[in-house]
Amino acid sequence: MNRRRFVQRGLFGAAVLLLGGGGLSLYPTRHLASPSKPLRVLDDRGFQVIVAVAARVITAPDADPALLAERIDESLSRVSPEAQADLASLVGLFENALPGLLLDGRATPFTRLGGAAQDRALASWRDSHLVVRRSGYHALRRLCFVAYYGDERAWPGIHYKGPPDVNGFFHDDSKAGTPEWIAAQDAKAGAP
Amino acid sequence: MTKLSVIRASAGVIDGSLASSDLDLSADVCIIGSGAGGAVVASVLAAAGVSVILVEEGGYFSTADFDMHEAHTVPKLYQEGMQRTTADLAISVLQGRAVGGTTVVNWTTSFRTPEAVVEHWSKKHAVGGFKYADLVPHYEAIEARLSIHEVDESAMNRNNKKLYDGCKSKGFAVAPTRRNVYQCMQTGYCGTGCPINAKRSMLVTLVPDAIDSGAKLLFRCRIDRLDSAAGEITAAHGTLLDASGYGVTGKGATIKAKRFILAGGAINSPAVLLRSGLNENALVGTRTFLHPTIGVTGLYDEPIEAFYGAPQTAASHAFAHRGDDVGFFMEAAPGYPVLSATAMPGFGDSHRRMMEASSRRTVHIALAIDGFHDDVPGGTVKLRPSGAPLLDYPIPPRLWEAFRTAQRRLAEVNFASGAKEVTTLHDPPVTATSDKDLDRLDAAPWEPCRVGVFTAHQMGGCRLGDDPKSSIVRSEDLRHHTIKNLYVVDGSVFPTSLGVNPQESIYGLARLMATRIVGR
Repeated sequence: MNRRRFVQRGLFGAAVLLLGGGGLSLYPTRHLASPSKPLRVLDDRGFQVIVAVAARVITAPDADPALLAERIDESLSRVSPEAQADLASLVGLFENALPGLLLDGRATPFTRLGGAAQDRALASWRDSHLVVRRSGYHALRRLCFVAYYGDERAWPGIHYKGPPDVNGFFHDDSKAGTPEWIAAQDAKAGAP
Repeated sequence: MTKLSVIRASAGVIDGSLASSDLDLSADVCIIGSGAGGAVVASVLAAAGVSVILVEEGGYFSTADFDMHEAHTVPKLYQEGMQRTTADLAISVLQGRAVGGTTVVNWTTSFRTPEAVVEHWSKKHAVGGFKYADLVPHYEAIEARLSIHEVDESAMNRNNKKLYDGCKSKGFAVAPTRRNVYQCMQTGYCGTGCPINAKRSMLVTLVPDAIDSGAKLLFRCRIDRLDSAAGEITAAHGTLLDASGYGVTGKGATIKAKRFILAGGAINSPAVLLRSGLNENALVGTRTFLHPTIGVTGLYDEPIEAFYGAPQTAASHAFAHRGDDVGFFMEAAPGYPVLSATAMPGFGDSHRRMMEASSRRTVHIALAIDGFHDDVPGGTVKLRPSGAPLLDYPIPPRLWEAFRTAQRRLAEVNFASGAKEVTTLHDPPVTATSDKDLDRLDAAPWEPCRVGVFTAHQMGGCRLGDDPKSSIVRSEDLRHHTIKNLYVVDGSVFPTSLGVNPQESIYGLARLMATRIVGR
């Protein structure tokens, strides 16, 4: 794969290339939750990793990491096949102990770390001198935020009262607001 | 589709997701994309009696869909469910995808193209096909049709008022914006589709105009490629998408026409040309501009509630012209929960604390004016192996400098308006508690994926000009230099960014060019 191809692969592909792929693992991934419906994009390992990430990114008491992971899986169905594959590789890389050992000195998969150690792993990606790791961190946190704050149950926690009530009103004429339309309305209103 | 008086349902409106077999369609003119460019051209051509088919990848939505709930609307209305980014994920790309295009989800800010920008194109980019004066009557016509008018200062929500008052206090030029709305109820949800049709988007104005004049509309059809032979396009081939907008039905569409008008917008129009192998001068997709955008959030003692009220009612162009440095302009952004959450830095408890205070936060942004300096050449649209577009946009040093300066100015504005602290969108965040702390903001790291950068204004990639060696389409009528029956009419033709929100620039140019195309 030449540099041009490297760029075309985009972020996740670049991260995988950099670290030699995400297939190696010293310890198996910890099972944290079972999806309530068939997954569309993630495999089970990826699902477990996302559950673990979501639990650290969203710390609101009412957050359900498994539910967030299901929503994230659904949202991934909207991106290109390449981005889906790249995200799957990223998730594997994030979990994988070998790159963790090489770059962070941790020999344990992300899903098997304690909460504080998981936070340190996320911060390590965030603060990395490698742009591909920083971007991986942002991709994961963004997916979690979209999944959580899109749910109205999260809104009271941020003092957001929800959308305003428009009382069923809407303009129903494609010409509404044009000078001719306003003149016609005025004429109608002024008519006996 | 329940609002039949605005949302048309007739034999000429075809939902591609429902087609039980491949579609073979024909018209005098096939227009690909129904946003600010395509809808204008469709309405002008159809009114002149030209047989038109308007093809759109996105869905045909109405107020019944626009429930102001991001989780429901964003997947329907944005490219890749608002997950589109640049190749290195450093810039989030907000771009619409629906009948009406980005006009369905923009924040209604309406500026004419600055006259100086048109003159710059003439001098620097060999644009001789029109002058600013040629555009003026078309701006006027569009302004009347779309109810574009200046907002009253009293209508500003607190988020915009803090920007407005802070700029005034600092002596930075600032003015109310103009918006394309009629009897707006100030819900603030322009970004998720106007729930009352107050926004005069293409969806509720010129698309219905075109249909009423006889144009056909095919939606849920993604154009994959254009066939060409002997210097002419012979057909457009598309894939029909399912009702979700993301799966395929297994059916296709072939559209034959005498002329084809590409209006998919920046990123998507170049991608169609690239997929079609129409890139003989290797310029397609290059010089793609974004108005790359950074932001700050000011924390106040009083409620701000940036999620409510018209999103953008004040704008400052005090720093648009900075000579050798890249200019920028300052505006406000709505504070919808998901949009805020993804912009706010951090994770876990620190992020949660920021969000818990989000109702007392401003969201102010600065948009860098890219494309006017030789070392700010924009990005390049390429293709992924699947054919999906991928934008590579390296951020050059001069842009980082603009971001740093803009961030400082935004912080100054907030402190002048009474903010108790200002936080950047760096991760980890950098916070200042007074004007004396601003050097800390300057020292923040400026590198990809260390700070949130966004774009809601995609421009360029199929630039206009009179020199076939340096442009894709002619400036006199936006016709492709070498393909005689192919035109590009959307924001992708701009040879630079604009320095203002782009929708009215696209409307005006499209209307001028439509009047020329119809006469040929």
